[in-house]
Amino acid sequence: MTRADRWADRALPAAALVSIVAAWQLSGLFLNPILISTPTAVAAELVDLGRNGQIWLALGASLEEMVIGMAVGLTVGIGLGVLMGRYTIVARVLFPYVNFFNATPLVVIIPLVIIWVGITTQARLLFVFLITLWPVLLNTAAGIRNVDRGYLDVGVAFGLGERDVLRKISLPAATPFILAGVRISAGLAIIGMIVSEMEISFVGLGFLLVSFGNSFETAKLLAVVIVTSLLGVLNVTILKAVQSRWFPWIGGVAGAGH
Amino acid sequence: MLEARGISKTYRSGASEVVALQDVDLSVQGGEFVSLVGPSGCGKTTLLRIIDGLTPASGGAIIFDGTPLTGVSREMAFVFQDINLLPWRSVVENVEIGLEGRGIAKDERRQRALETLRLVGLETVATRPPYTLSGGMQQRVGVARALAIQPKVLLMDEPFVHLDNFTRETLQIELAKLWRRLGLTIIFVTHDVDEAIFLSDRIALFRSSPGRITEVATVGLRHPRWEFNVRADPRAIELREHIIDALQVRQSVLV
Repeated sequence: MTRADRWADRALPAAALVSIVAAWQLSGLFLNPILISTPTAVAAELVDLGRNGQIWLALGASLEEMVIGMAVGLTVGIGLGVLMGRYTIVARVLFPYVNFFNATPLVVIIPLVIIWVGITTQARLLFVFLITLWPVLLNTAAGIRNVDRGYLDVGVAFGLGERDVLRKISLPAATPFILAGVRISAGLAIIGMIVSEMEISFVGLGFLLVSFGNSFETAKLLAVVIVTSLLGVLNVTILKAVQSRWFPWIGGVAGAGH
Repeated sequence: MLEARGISKTYRSGASEVVALQDVDLSVQGGEFVSLVGPSGCGKTTLLRIIDGLTPASGGAIIFDGTPLTGVSREMAFVFQDINLLPWRSVVENVEIGLEGRGIAKDERRQRALETLRLVGLETVATRPPYTLSGGMQQRVGVARALAIQPKVLLMDEPFVHLDNFTRETLQIELAKLWRRLGLTIIFVTHDVDEAIFLSDRIALFRSSPGRITEVATVGLRHPRWEFNVRADPRAIELREHIIDALQVRQSVLV
């Protein structure tokens, strides 16, 4: 990569961002602000929502649902995935159902979830759990099933028992698969959180989106959209940091040409 | 000391059967270096895995010090062709794995692993991830991992095949030195005739379809062999010709 390339890599996206924001601002001169508002109005609303505490309250409620629902989803998903990967009998029994739920757009079960537990925090937790469960489960099972034969040979040849082979060989060897599943699940967790708040709640970012939308407060609505996007970016950043801090070998092996 | 008696191995794929090994006998004395040489697919790796207990035999028995073996033997250690170092463990943690399998306490494990790494000249890279090492260093770690459990027998499956010529010759000499120093018994799979002559006391020649041993040749050159030019030695040249004839390498040339 030449110096000009590197410069273009930074300058062009920045230029694009500036032009788009400028065009958006200029559009406010002749468009009804209800349609798309303006960057300055959105920024002002964002500051305002921060000052009066509304956004923090919503963010707190949303994060609580997302983090707890996802934590339970990932734990159960990885646990069941290990069982499915390890025991053919478990895989044979569960696989059709897991695939069925993974293929279903789970928004369709929201009415059912409301029937079960009403319009409550538990309902939203349950929904986030249900939406995050399947990708990590399927990926974990695939990871455990596809462990390099050579690694397993090492475990057996050097006298590890069956449980140690699982703990010290199969599980770590499956982490690239598992983390890929976690990435998908984390993306779905945000969607699950927002959707469940839009449908079954009077709190959270999703509820703010719906209520600002219903009252045509477009600048406020877009301020909440920006916060939600930042949450998604934060999610990805945390996962990347986790991988490079605790699993540096995943990139390293690929780079070293094993 | 170690004896393979009437070992056979048959793989079944659908209705057809492939005989990988047919009635193989091999006996190895304590402290001996024996190479298994033959064309690809002749079953030499399979025999090595059967000796270690990694692959079950279809028939026959492995006798170690008069006792038939079942399962993976604790007296033997395996060095893999693909090395298979675990990338999520550091070099020293990789060397420790066999000691974990034997339930040795953490401090002693680390100490023994470091001592073994010193033996192969790698104590300075103990904390590095294995994939940052060169191929030759990685296979030294593979050898250290096997030596750490203090085995009586070292089973080596084409350990130097992926290395460049210079590194391979260096590691051959290092292995010959370790073998003498530690009084090991080594069974070594290779398809490199020169490598087999340089290292071995005896060489078992394999033929394929079905895999079998057709001859066990005695090398008869004095040790240590890094002190003279083995390749130019008249007896080595003669043996090399004999082995190439016996393996019918030239008959299988098609063009």
